[in-house]
Amino acid sequence: MAQVQTTEKLELRRDISVWGSFTWGFADVGANTYVALGLVMAYTQGASSLVFALAGIIYIMIGLAYTELASAYPVAGGGPYFTMRGLGDFWGFVGGAALLLDYTIDIALFATASAGYLNFFMPYILGRSIESFAISIGPLHNVNYFWCIETLVLISILIWINIKGIKESSFINELIGVIVILTESALVIMGFLFAWKPEFLAMQWKTQFPSLHNFMYGSSLAIISFIGLESISQAAQETRRPATIIPRTSLTLIFTVFIFAVAFSTLGLGVLPWQEFAKHMDNPVAILAKAIPLIGFIAGPFAAGLGALMLFISSNTGVMGASRLTYSLSQFGIISPWFHTVHPKFHTPVRNIVIFSMIAVIQTVLSFLTPHAMDTLGNMYAFGASLGYTLVFIALIKLRFSDPYTPRPYKMPLNIKIGYKGRKVDFPLLGVIGMLGVATILFMVVLTHTIGRIAGPAWILLCFIYYAWYRKKEGFPLFKSIKHNWEKEQIEVLTSAEEYDLLEQYKNALAERDKKRVQIK
Amino acid sequence: MHVQVSPLGIIIAVVFFFSIGGILWWMLHPPPQIKPEVAKARRSVEALKRILVPTSGMPYSERGIELACRLGAEHQAEIVLTYVIEIPRTLPLNAPMPEAEEKANQILNRGKEIVELHHLPPVLLVERAREAGEGIIRAAKDNQVDVIVLGMRTDLRGAQSLWGRTSDILIRKAPCEVILDKLPESS
Repeated sequence: MAQVQTTEKLELRRDISVWGSFTWGFADVGANTYVALGLVMAYTQGASSLVFALAGIIYIMIGLAYTELASAYPVAGGGPYFTMRGLGDFWGFVGGAALLLDYTIDIALFATASAGYLNFFMPYILGRSIESFAISIGPLHNVNYFWCIETLVLISILIWINIKGIKESSFINELIGVIVILTESALVIMGFLFAWKPEFLAMQWKTQFPSLHNFMYGSSLAIISFIGLESISQAAQETRRPATIIPRTSLTLIFTVFIFAVAFSTLGLGVLPWQEFAKHMDNPVAILAKAIPLIGFIAGPFAAGLGALMLFISSNTGVMGASRLTYSLSQFGIISPWFHTVHPKFHTPVRNIVIFSMIAVIQTVLSFLTPHAMDTLGNMYAFGASLGYTLVFIALIKLRFSDPYTPRPYKMPLNIKIGYKGRKVDFPLLGVIGMLGVATILFMVVLTHTIGRIAGPAWILLCFIYYAWYRKKEGFPLFKSIKHNWEKEQIEVLTSAEEYDLLEQYKNALAERDKKRVQIK
Repeated sequence: MHVQVSPLGIIIAVVFFFSIGGILWWMLHPPPQIKPEVAKARRSVEALKRILVPTSGMPYSERGIELACRLGAEHQAEIVLTYVIEIPRTLPLNAPMPEAEEKANQILNRGKEIVELHHLPPVLLVERAREAGEGIIRAAKDNQVDVIVLGMRTDLRGAQSLWGRTSDILIRKAPCEVILDKLPESS
């Protein structure tokens, strides 16, 4: 059977600390909440807190699945890598293509949004608003070339930072992460202490409950606010002691973001009517902050600055995620080994960074040719994530049966022991519930997101054409898997990660298995 | 904008502060890194799933049972209690010895009580052999044990060898790890 030949000696360096690993995820997920709050409240009205809590429960299950898998397999690649190990090359490719779509949109969408927040200051600097730059080009109307150029400049800065190295890139995340967490915490605490009216929240809940359709549509949007968990796993190969650190950073991220999302929506409904948030969808946190006594007077400019920062680092995680994902896919024969190269000086996958950032640039330019650039990008965002997450859940369940030997420093709770091939396997009940939950979200996205349901599958099809061409050219099977030596790789990964305790556990488990096989023979 | 203070708001703010603060503190304090040599030593003990303890009913051998139980507690190890009836060379190995067998059962049942106090599964074995060491080794091989824990007598001054004959045979011929426990003579 064909086997992948990898001659590359240079590897990604392990530079990401505990805080860095956490902020990779928080940069992405935290920014989503910041943007999605107004959009979700516009549809779910008085039930916003409930919707965020329900979507958050599914998100927690996704998070727990990622925590288990990322700590067991601490390599770059995240969801698609787990899918490939559990379900084989083809499904690994499907998961990879889905998440790659999300990462490139992530770069484009959040860089656009970041530039949008910067435009808040435009009247003070240039004396005119951003809307005044919109022009018509033939049949295309409301084309804002200035905003588009700003976005492209931001993407260029991100390309440069990411080429220079993960240490520099991670440092930005770490620094901004501190500012964001402190600011958001201060807003929530000040808001609950000095502005929150529980009776107002109760009144909105009772009298402004949404219709079932709006409730469901809002729920599919709310899950968008939790996309980004993948980033921690993508950085696993560059994280110091990943099997120890990642369970901690993942669990912290899951609960921190959940607490913030529920806190902001609960606070919002207890301070302002939901219609206020619907009216200011672009800047909901700023509107909320403005309504808080004592700090409200600086809320506008500060929230705009904070929003720009958050969205900028969120875009940064998109660049990092796309490049690391493709680096990983190339390692396993899903795409060409040409993508599995790191720069001799910077130790970063420069080709991947440039190529996939360029795809984001194309997406940005095309979206600015539509009347509402952010709407166009946002509509496609949930498709890739919900498809990728569904596959990850299936892979998690399968791996419990096919690879019980890899030590799992963290295991999803709620397991039942069942007999399988003469041994006991922990069957993850919560994994099944999570899979059904995410599959429902995927169904709702396909049903309600008009652009996403066409652009998403079209992207997967486009990627499949490349995949089929490459696999045929190399003589690799299309739907079956290349022979991978997962055991050897696992030993190498744990050794390089300096996770010696897990390495010994793994070796003991394999030795025990081999002993049993000999006894049976 | 008027300041609006509610008791529930204060409670939520405090809970929020401690939830976020607490979880971040926990995240930032991971356990220290384990060195390769330390990990190897630590994990080499993990495979102790069946422990054999020879018992003669003497206090030192019952102390050996207690030690074995503590050793096996983490992985719920099976404790194989073995009493060896030494048959004189003038008799065949299967010669009836009702008194010795009754004594063996009494001693094993006493040992079983110790094991059950630790909620571990006991296995009781009576072996017949010309020498105790020989019977213990056969039991260890037949039951594929991971380790033998032997409580030794405290007074070895009259013994022919350094550690006593049984211990000598175990150290030389045991098919698995052997742990000897000897208290100082004064105890």
